[in-house]
Amino acid sequence: MTTISLPPAARSRSGNRSRNRYVAGLRTWRGVTGLVLVGTVALAGLLAPWLTGADPDAQGPQALAAPSGAHPLGTDDIGRDLLSRVLHGILTDLSIILTAVPAGALTGAALALLAGTSRAADLVVQRLFDLVLSFPGLILGLAVTAILGPGRWPVVIIIALAEVPYFGRQLRAGVLVQREREYALAARVGGAGRARVLLRHVLPNAVDPLVVQGAVALSAGVFIEGALSFLGLGVRPPEPTLGSLISGSVAYLDTHPVLAAPLAVTTALVLGFTLLAEALNRGART
Amino acid sequence: MRTFLFKRLPSGLAVLLAASFTVFLMLRLIPGDPATTLAGPDASPATVAAIRERLGLDAPLLSQYLHWLGQVLTGDLGPSYAIGGQVSELIGDGLAATFQLTLAALLLVVLLAVPTALYAVSARRRALAGALRALTTGALAVPPFVTGVLLVLAFAVGLGLLPAGGHASLFDAPDLAVQYLALPALCLALPSAAILARYLQDGLERALGEDYVRTATALGVPRRRILWRHALPNALPSAVTVLGLQIGQLIAGAVVVERIFAWPGLGQLIEQGVSRRDYPVVQDLLLLVVAGYVAVQLLTDLLYSWLDPRVRWE
Amino acid sequence: MNAFSAGSGGPLSLPAISRRALLRGSLAGAGLLALSACRSAADPSPGADAVSGGAASPRRGGVLTVGVGVDFTPALLFAQSANSLLQRLVFNTLTRYDAQLQPQPELAKSWEVAADGLSVTLKLREDVTFHSGRRFTADDVVFAVKNLQNPVRSAQLRSTALTVADFRKNGDFELTLVLAHPVSNLFDLFEFMIIPDSQSVEDAVAGTRLVGTGPFTFTDRKPGSSLSFARNEKYWNPGRPYLDGVEIKVIPQAETLLSSVRTGQTQLTYAVRGKDVATLKDDERFRITQYDTGAGAFYIGANLSFPEVQDKRVRQAIAWAIDRDRLVQQALGGYATVSSVPWPKSSPAYREQDATRYHHDPEKAKALLREAGVTSLSLPLAHSSDAGSTAVAQILQYDLKQVGIEVQLQPVDSPTMQKQLISQSMPALWTLSHSFSQAHPATLAVSAYPFNEAKNTSKFSSPAYTAAVQKAWNRSDADSPEAKALYQQVTDLLLDEQFIIDLAIAGLVEVAGAQVRGVTLNKYSYLNLDDAYLAG
Repeated sequence: MTTISLPPAARSRSGNRSRNRYVAGLRTWRGVTGLVLVGTVALAGLLAPWLTGADPDAQGPQALAAPSGAHPLGTDDIGRDLLSRVLHGILTDLSIILTAVPAGALTGAALALLAGTSRAADLVVQRLFDLVLSFPGLILGLAVTAILGPGRWPVVIIIALAEVPYFGRQLRAGVLVQREREYALAARVGGAGRARVLLRHVLPNAVDPLVVQGAVALSAGVFIEGALSFLGLGVRPPEPTLGSLISGSVAYLDTHPVLAAPLAVTTALVLGFTLLAEALNRGART
Repeated sequence: MRTFLFKRLPSGLAVLLAASFTVFLMLRLIPGDPATTLAGPDASPATVAAIRERLGLDAPLLSQYLHWLGQVLTGDLGPSYAIGGQVSELIGDGLAATFQLTLAALLLVVLLAVPTALYAVSARRRALAGALRALTTGALAVPPFVTGVLLVLAFAVGLGLLPAGGHASLFDAPDLAVQYLALPALCLALPSAAILARYLQDGLERALGEDYVRTATALGVPRRRILWRHALPNALPSAVTVLGLQIGQLIAGAVVVERIFAWPGLGQLIEQGVSRRDYPVVQDLLLLVVAGYVAVQLLTDLLYSWLDPRVRWE
Repeated sequence: MNAFSAGSGGPLSLPAISRRALLRGSLAGAGLLALSACRSAADPSPGADAVSGGAASPRRGGVLTVGVGVDFTPALLFAQSANSLLQRLVFNTLTRYDAQLQPQPELAKSWEVAADGLSVTLKLREDVTFHSGRRFTADDVVFAVKNLQNPVRSAQLRSTALTVADFRKNGDFELTLVLAHPVSNLFDLFEFMIIPDSQSVEDAVAGTRLVGTGPFTFTDRKPGSSLSFARNEKYWNPGRPYLDGVEIKVIPQAETLLSSVRTGQTQLTYAVRGKDVATLKDDERFRITQYDTGAGAFYIGANLSFPEVQDKRVRQAIAWAIDRDRLVQQALGGYATVSSVPWPKSSPAYREQDATRYHHDPEKAKALLREAGVTSLSLPLAHSSDAGSTAVAQILQYDLKQVGIEVQLQPVDSPTMQKQLISQSMPALWTLSHSFSQAHPATLAVSAYPFNEAKNTSKFSSPAYTAAVQKAWNRSDADSPEAKALYQQVTDLLLDEQFIIDLAIAGLVEVAGAQVRGVTLNKYSYLNLDDAYLAG
């Protein structure tokens, strides 16, 4: 899921101008739709306590009940209010991906910078990325949760770990390109140290594509959480997550269509992130 | 080219060695152990001890690791603990099943993605291109395990056209095998096809925006010819890289898809191995996956430089 | 084409079939199913279609497709495990229980237990051969008992097998087993113990070759995928089996298994979850049979090495706090019986008033907690991480919260669960299901680890429990009033101590296509297809 390494955007030397381009990208229909989708879903999650009075963990005698006044989306298989669980599930998912993706991005970036310091470091870091990439997503997940046991942190770690090589590789590629640009060469000729050139001149210009990768990674995070829940390796119950809600409802989809609600919300969220990634990417390229 | 291989091979081997160590240690870190799994839920300590001894799990870790490396190097992988049979046979059968599935999926990826991208780029109406793009975006927004269950409900339960899950060998019963393959391959292929289509579409659009294309258009070269002769060859190398990366993703996706469709491939084998703590099966299999990944990386690099002469051998 | 559509009552009429063919044809045209013109993998198994319907007499032929969720574990061939279906297909046992728990002849024609209960003399069938062609004799019974005594075989009835101290042969077909002490569950052993071919037993536990005397010969195994069996043409039971063969398919994903049942590709299964069975029960294409026996007595265990649960009033409070009816309805789809005791209704130890001793009474639970001086209580509860167990655990967590006990769920995968169970390293509470209460009550405490008097997961021990268990086991009569009085002692102790808090007895639920007839399970969930056939 995580391989949408979108085409490297053309880079400008001024960070300011590129930021304007991103804003311009967000103003396209893609960007607006993406923002609206993500914004609506996120807002619904944040306003959960006000949108529903039901406790997401409170169980009742009525399982798989049809929608009613008390339960606008009906109840799940052990009699919990589905609307409340979906809304609180959004919050859990957002908090997981918003922790995991920055963590993955920072780790990846740090490793990429480390790679920029010497040939040997570069070789080691590259092989390290290879190693992580070669344990594809879910196999990594099987291993980590088998060791740590299921829970919120293992999910965060798995998502972060899966994203590290993508951020790292992209930054490394950017660093390699920028390092050979005139301004960087000029700075080096001017007597600036290797590390200083890397941090002060190269990094600010190479960091651009990571913004796009960030949006891609957020949508990938939602999927990884879902797949882990599907395999019984997700967040500790009874805490609701979008993934656990989907896998809990998938068996009843043909008999209880209203149970498609968590799926619809997840799709909207992922779609939103994907559109944002596209918008940012296009904005950066124009 | 020979120097290229000389440069890449040692680091590939280093990755393999590091992977073997990681895998070995990781398995031992997982709580639970093969002996208690084999002893059943009502076993006495005597039973567990007897089984540990029989499996050689009472030996020191280092000697277990070296013993395993020896097995790998001599090619004699020995018997599995819990699943039954020889590890090499299990992996061979699983590999064949996953290979069939991944190959079918890969074929579908290309068959779905390339025409979609070409059509979207050459479509006169922007609305159509937009719709195709929305479709590929949409395909990315539904988790594969949901696609799988929905496909089963639609094609197996609803229409009764295709089996709900299971497996037949392509060699023994090709007519049945194709039917068993159809749904899991489609389910596996959809997200990758969407990614490839988007990527290719981006690449084509970028190539079409280049100066020489504008020149060619101005000179009256037909658009179709420009697309096939100029834009496609330019967009292809990076698309091949994406496809190479997608192979890894297909294998990873196989864990979920194989489970949904009861397809006895490597994904199922690894899940069974982990869930029964069948150390030999998991160790050998993960090492094989890493080796496969290293090989694919190497091959795509080679292919890339072959398709795009501008990239010289490093 | 579709077995379920045969006859007038079927849901699919003829035009529907041609429409299906048309659709398939168009798909084939699209290149997806280029070869599908000849055969379809989506149709029910062969053998299900031919023949006219209605007749009640058994029909020969056909291959029965059985769906399972968990693959067979060869190393657990001699133990009861998650998949013990094939044991009675390939192998035979010495005797088998009828519905009243009375042993009936199988490989043993007749038997006589000595008056002092210290020996049993078996007369064996003389017309039995193994699939390898070798003749079955008394030596094979000797081998089977010794095989179970070997700890590596993980047999739950090993303790009973170990009471056999000596073998006295009288010719090839008469054998006396000399016991170290009388045991009341000897025939449980004979129901449990399959008779393997001594020459190929190592191949059997490796899963490569299974040689027995049973109705079907083992032909092929694809690990993680399928097991195939063909009719044993030289079976000792004349005219049986009716079926040409059996195919066991492994379908790990519950939704897919359900779909496979609904499409008729799986004709018989015991692996559909209770709440999924509920969606099939009104469909006349399926026959649903509930077995009293099986591996599923759901319980909460308490680890007494944690001070929080050392007071038995706390454990009793937990027993009062659980809404067992809701648990059965919501988590098990109604396919279980609420119960405070481990015994199913068919057990000689079952009494209605014991089974209903604890019921949902939060006030009583709170009162007991107050009496025990507990003001706030927070306990971890381990459970398996599969969907079914997670639903059960969440219900328990919620019910306990209502009486003031905070529970943290600890989902772990089943090997970890098993390790914690055997190595006595469970947290304060755990939930699982246990077996071995289905036959003679004495077997439970000597074979099911959670109830073992000498060493159990709860680290519970009491001289009274040990004495009651040993007395109930060390006797030759299993059904006499004295024996029942002893079972009652065990039951009373269990109900009072509540180191294992029984919740519900969920026997296996058989879901079969309406054309599948004559299927039975033995007490240890071995599938018996001697008399099974596919009706037209």
